[in-house]
Amino acid sequence: MKTIVCRSPRHGSDVLNRRDFLKTASAATLSALAAGYARPLLAATEEKIKPTADTVIVLWMAGGMAHTETFDPKLYTPFKAGLKPDEVLSTFPQIDTVVDHIKLTQGLEHLAQVMDRATLIRSYTAGDLGFILHSRHQYQWHTGYAPPQTVAAPHIGSVIARALGPLNPAMPAFIDIGQRFDLGEGEELKAFHTAGFLGSEHGPFIISNPEQAVESVRPPAGMSPSRFESRDKFYRELAANSPIGQYGSDFQQQSLLRSLDNAHRLLSSPAAKAFDLALEPKASYDKYNTGKFGLGCLLARRLTEAGARFIEVTSEYIPFQYWDTHENGHTRMVDLKKSIDAPVAQLVLDLEERGLLNRTLIVLASEFSRDMMIEGKPDKKVKDQVTVPEVINDLKYYGMHRHFTDAGSVLMFGGGVKKGYLHGRTADERPCKTLEKRVIIEDLHASIYRALGISPKLSYEIEKRPFYVTRDGLGQPIQELFA
Amino acid sequence: MRFSLIKLASVVCLVGCFSGIGIAALTPEQVAQLPPPAAHPVDFAKEIKPIFEASCIKCHGRGRDKGGFRLDSRATLLQGGDSGPAVIPGKSAESELITLVQGVDPDNVMPKKGSRLTPEQIGLLRAWIDQGLPWDQSISLGRQEPLNLKPHRPEIPSGPSEANPIDRFLAPYFATNHFKPPTTVNDRLFARRAWLDVVGLLPPPEALETFVADRHPDKRRQLVLSLLADSKNYAEHWLTFWNDALRNDYRGTGYIDGGRKQITSWLYSALATNLPYDRFVAELIDPKPASEGFSKGIVWRGVVNASQTPQMQAAQNISQVFMGVNLKCASCHDSFVNDFTLADAYGLAGIYADAPLEMVLCDKPTGKKAALKFIYPELGAIDSQADKPARLKQLAQCIAGAQDGRLTRTLVNRFWGKLMGRALVEPVDEMEQRAWNPDLLDWLAEDFAAHNYDLKHLLEQIMTSRAYQLPAVDLGEKTGSDYVFHGPGVRRLSAEQFRDALTSLTGIGYSSPVAEVVPSESEQKKFAVPIPVKWVWNDAQAAEKAKAGHVYFRKTIQISTPPADATAVVMCDNSFTLFVNGQKVGSGNEFKNVYLFDLRPFLKPGENLLAVDAVNNLPDNSPPTPEKTVPGTENPAGFLFYARMRQSEPGAKQTNDFASDKSWLASDTKQDGWQKPQFAADGWQPAVVLGDTGMSPWRVNKASLATKLATAYPGKVRASMVAADPLMVALGRPNREQVVTTRPSAATTLQALEMTNGGTLADILKRGAEKLLADPAAANDKLIPRLYEKALGRKPTERELALARGVVGQPPQASGVEDLLWAVTMLPEFQLIY
Repeated sequence: MKTIVCRSPRHGSDVLNRRDFLKTASAATLSALAAGYARPLLAATEEKIKPTADTVIVLWMAGGMAHTETFDPKLYTPFKAGLKPDEVLSTFPQIDTVVDHIKLTQGLEHLAQVMDRATLIRSYTAGDLGFILHSRHQYQWHTGYAPPQTVAAPHIGSVIARALGPLNPAMPAFIDIGQRFDLGEGEELKAFHTAGFLGSEHGPFIISNPEQAVESVRPPAGMSPSRFESRDKFYRELAANSPIGQYGSDFQQQSLLRSLDNAHRLLSSPAAKAFDLALEPKASYDKYNTGKFGLGCLLARRLTEAGARFIEVTSEYIPFQYWDTHENGHTRMVDLKKSIDAPVAQLVLDLEERGLLNRTLIVLASEFSRDMMIEGKPDKKVKDQVTVPEVINDLKYYGMHRHFTDAGSVLMFGGGVKKGYLHGRTADERPCKTLEKRVIIEDLHASIYRALGISPKLSYEIEKRPFYVTRDGLGQPIQELFA
Repeated sequence: MRFSLIKLASVVCLVGCFSGIGIAALTPEQVAQLPPPAAHPVDFAKEIKPIFEASCIKCHGRGRDKGGFRLDSRATLLQGGDSGPAVIPGKSAESELITLVQGVDPDNVMPKKGSRLTPEQIGLLRAWIDQGLPWDQSISLGRQEPLNLKPHRPEIPSGPSEANPIDRFLAPYFATNHFKPPTTVNDRLFARRAWLDVVGLLPPPEALETFVADRHPDKRRQLVLSLLADSKNYAEHWLTFWNDALRNDYRGTGYIDGGRKQITSWLYSALATNLPYDRFVAELIDPKPASEGFSKGIVWRGVVNASQTPQMQAAQNISQVFMGVNLKCASCHDSFVNDFTLADAYGLAGIYADAPLEMVLCDKPTGKKAALKFIYPELGAIDSQADKPARLKQLAQCIAGAQDGRLTRTLVNRFWGKLMGRALVEPVDEMEQRAWNPDLLDWLAEDFAAHNYDLKHLLEQIMTSRAYQLPAVDLGEKTGSDYVFHGPGVRRLSAEQFRDALTSLTGIGYSSPVAEVVPSESEQKKFAVPIPVKWVWNDAQAAEKAKAGHVYFRKTIQISTPPADATAVVMCDNSFTLFVNGQKVGSGNEFKNVYLFDLRPFLKPGENLLAVDAVNNLPDNSPPTPEKTVPGTENPAGFLFYARMRQSEPGAKQTNDFASDKSWLASDTKQDGWQKPQFAADGWQPAVVLGDTGMSPWRVNKASLATKLATAYPGKVRASMVAADPLMVALGRPNREQVVTTRPSAATTLQALEMTNGGTLADILKRGAEKLLADPAAANDKLIPRLYEKALGRKPTERELALARGVVGQPPQASGVEDLLWAVTMLPEFQLIY
C-alpha cells in the first residue's frame, strides 16, 4: 500500500495510509495530490517549531511608506518657503506613546496608545533591484524572490495556505482585501497574487472592496437564499440521476462534485456572515470607517474571528496614489495616517478583547520607505524618478518623494511577538539608514513562518527541484522578536 | 529561482580537485597507513563501477569534467586532470587517486561531498590499480547518448493492413500487459471528443444527429477531416495551447513599458494556414518581427538575475518547449536534475546575445565565457565567429532540421497527452525519460516528419486510431511510472472550452476580440467595408489641432426588422462612450484601438438613435477639465464609426451599413438627456468630415477594419481571443508569465465558488436565460430538450425532463431557465470529456 506523508505542521509528520488519508482529506488536498502539483520535500535538518500564532494579518501600505514620517520620527522641520530639501528629515513632529522609549510621529495617536502591545522593527531593508519599480519590490516582499522567476513563485499567503490549510474548513485560507487588478500595474500585481506552482486551490480569495465582501459569499445578485438552496437541491438530483453512472465513478467527477460541495458549504455556513460588514454594530463600524482601508481592517477582524488563516488588507497599489507619494507628500501623509491610525489600533484592541490577539500575528509593512533626497540606498543610488527642487517654495515639494530602500518600519502585534519592543535603529541624520539589526525579507518571512510553526527551510518540489519558502532556505527567524 | 547556496558552495569547491598542485610522493609512513589492497582479482563492473557511480561521477562523469578530469573511460582516467595523471597502473600507492580518497592532505579530500570512502573501498581501488586497471570497454561513465534524440523509425508490427499503425503498435503492448481492449465508444461520445479536441466546441445538435445517422463505415475519419478543415475554429481552439506553451498573452507583465511583445498575429495565421511545424519552430527560433516576441522574453526594468536575462529566457524556453528538457537549473549552475551544465545554458543563450556573455555561477561572475553551441551539439554546429543572424539560422537548423528526432517526439508526445489525458512520456517536459511505448513514440514522430510536419495529419493519425476511441478511463490514480495505457483518460473541459460551450448554449459570447489577428483572405473579403468611412469632429482643423474637451454626436437610423448582424467598429482620438437608444453600449480609451460592439441587443424596429460622447484629451493624455483646457493644449482629435448591418435572408444583397459622415450631428455642449432618443438636438451642427480612414495622423487601413470584423463576427468571439476574465482564471487559464505545458485539471474550491456565485457566470446565465426564453422554442416545450441536445449531445431522460420542468416552471420563468442552465453546466457529464 502506498503511504502518504502528511507534512502539515498541524499534523506533525503523521504518516497515514492512503485509505485513511482519502477519508480525511478535503477535496482540495485530494485534488492537489492527483493533479501533479508541487509536493513538499522533507528536509532532514528541519526542526519542529511550536507555533505561537494560527492566523496572520498583513496590513499593506502599498506604494512605499516613509519611515521618518510614520514610525521612526526624526528631526521635524516645519514647512516654510525657502527650505532646502536636505534640511528636512521629517515633516511631522514626534509624539509620545504609552511606551517611554518608543516615539511615533504626529497623526498616529491611536496607535501610540497600543504600542505596549507592539513589536516595532525600524531596520527593514529592501532588496537591491536596480531601477526602482514598486511592483518588483512588492513581488519580492510577497514571495521572497525577485522577479522574474523561472517558475511561478507563490505569494506568502499561498505558502501558508498550502502548508497549514484553512483554520476553519469553511473559510478560504488566503483572503486578499482591497486590491483591484484592472488598473495601473495590475498585471504586475497579478504576477505575485497567485499560488503559482502550488496550485490555484491555494490562491487568494480576492475581495476588492470590503464593503462588498458579502457578495463574494452569498448567492449571486438577485437570487434569494431559498432559490439558492433549491437550485443546489435540483443540481444534486440532476447529478444523481445523470446517466453518467454508466461510465463509472472517476477522480475528475468526484473532485468536481466535492468542490461544489465545499463552495456550497462556505456560502451557506455561519462563517459567511463574517463577510457582511452590515452586521457590525454601528458604533464599532464607525470606529473603523476611515474609508476602504479602515473597513478592510474591520473585515479582517471579523474574518479572524470566523477562523481565517491568512488575510492581507492593502491600502491598494495604484501608481502615484496612496502611499506612492511623488508630490504633496506631507499633505497626503496626513490623510494616509488618518486612514490607518484608528482602524489598526482598533483591530489590535478588538482582537485582544476577544482573546484572539495572542494567536493572531499582525504585520504592518510596505515595500520600501521614502526619502526627500535619496533614491535607493546611500551607497547604491539608482536613477532618480522624482525631481526635487534646490529650494522648496511650494508645499507640493514638501514631503518624502523618492524611493528609499535602506531602512523601513514594520509594525507587529500579537501572535507571540514581544510587547513594547523596539528592534533595530536608524541614523538620526540623513541618510536615515539602518544602523543596527538589519532585517531583510528572508528573515522577516522566516519570523512570520516561525510564528506559524513553519520552517524557513520548508521546500516544495517543482520540476524536480526544491523551491524553499524563504529564498534558498536561508531565512532565519529573528528570535529577539518573540516573547 | 536559485537553490540552496549552501549545497552549491560545496559542489562548486570541487573545481579544485585534480587541478590543484600535484601531490608529492607519499612518505613510507603514509604508505603504511593506506588500507591494504584487496587480495582477490577485482571485478570492475561489480566492485569498482559502483564506487565511481556513488562518489565520483557527479563531478567527473556523465559529461562533467571538474578540474579537467573525466572518469568516462579507462583512457580518460589515465589521461588525468589539470594536475596530471590520476593513476599509475600497477602502482596504487603512487596514484594521486588513492592519495586523495585516503585524505592524506586534509584540505584536499575526495569526494568533496558525501561520505568518505571506506578502507575496504580504498583497498578495492588499490587492488584494481595494482592489477592494471581492467575496464570492460563496453562500460562508459561518460555522457550517455541522450534518449529520444535521434530519429528512429521502427517497423510497424504485423497486423491488418487497414488498421491504424498506432493500434498495430499497441496490439503486442496490450498482449504483454494482459489487457483486452473493449469496444470503442459510441458515436455520440466520439463526436463530442472529436469536436472538442479539434475545434474546442460542442457538436451542434444537427451536425451530431447527421453524424449518428450516417451509415458510412469511414464516417469517423470523415468527421475528423471535416473538423480539421475548419481552419478558423481549429486555429482559435489551438491558439490556447500554443499561447500557453509560447508564453503569449494579450495582457501580462512587461507590456506596460515595452518589455514584451505579442506573437498573436503570427501564431494565429500559422495555425490557420497549418504552417508545417519545422517551419513554425524555425520562425520562432530565427524570428521575423512578427514572431520575435517568443525569443525576446519578458524584460523587467531594473537588475535581473543572470539566470533570467532575455537570452537565458530564450535558452530555457527553447529547450523546454521544443526539446522537452529543463535548462532552468543549468542557467545558474551545473544541473542536479539532468546532465546539462552551466556552459550548456550559456552556450545556447549566447547565440541570442549581441556580445559574448560572461558565465555567472549562482550570482557570481566567473570571468569565463562559454563556447557557443546548442545543448545537443550532435544536432549541428554553431559558428561562434558568425554574426547573430547567421547563428540563429544555424540554431534553427539544429532544432528544426530532419536530424533532430527530439523536436518531433516532443511535439507528438504533447499532442498525445492533450488527446489522451496522459502522454507517452511524462512529465511532458522530461523527454529524456523513456516512453511507455518507445516504438510508438518513435514511429509517430517519424510519421509526423514524413508528412511534412503536418500538425493536422498528426491529429488525424491519433484520432482515427482505436486507441483514441476506447472508453475513457479514470486517470486519477494512474499517474505514476506503473502506468499502463488502457484508453484515454477522463479529461476536463479547459477554461476556454467551458466558456465557448456556454456561448453555444446561451448565445452569450464575447463582443470584441483582444487578440490582434489577421484572418484568411476569404474571411476578410466577406467582411470588406463597402461604403466610405470618414473621420469626423466638429472642427475642420481637428486632425491637426482640436480643443481638448468633449464633442457629442448623434445619428438616427431606420431599420425595419432586427438585423442578423449589427456590429459597430469605433475609433476615437482619445476616448468615447457609445449609447444606442439611450442605453450605454460601451466605451474605449485607447486611440490606436479599434473597438467592436454588437449592437443587436440595443436595436429595435423603427427609429434608433446612436449617440457618442467623444473626448479629446490633453496632450499628456489626461482627461480634459475646464481649468486645464487652455490655449496651447490643442492636439489632434477625430472619431470614426462604421456599422455592419445585415439581414440573414440568403441572397440579401442590400445592406443597411452606415458610417460616420456629415449626416451625424455634433455639439460641444453637454445637455441633459443628449444621448436619449426623445432629446431635440436643436442647434446641433452637422459633423465636420476631416478625411478618409487612411488620413494622417491615424492612417487606418480600411482593410484592417474588415480584419477586425472578421474575427469578431457577432457572438462568435471565442474565449481564446480575449483576455482572461475571473471565470476563466478560476477554471485554470494561467497567467502566461512562464511557459505552461500542462494545466492542472482537478476542480478546486475557489473555482467552485466562482462558479457558484461569481458575477461573470451569473451574468452570462442571466442574459442567456432571457435569450433562450425569447426563442420560439421556449414556447412549445422544446427549451429543455434543446438545451440537453446542445449541452450533452442527447435528449433528457423522462426523469431529467420532469426535474427540469419543475425548476423551469410552467410557463417557463427566466430564473428557472437560469437555474437549469447552471445545474446542467455544473454536471460532470458536461464538464468532463468521457
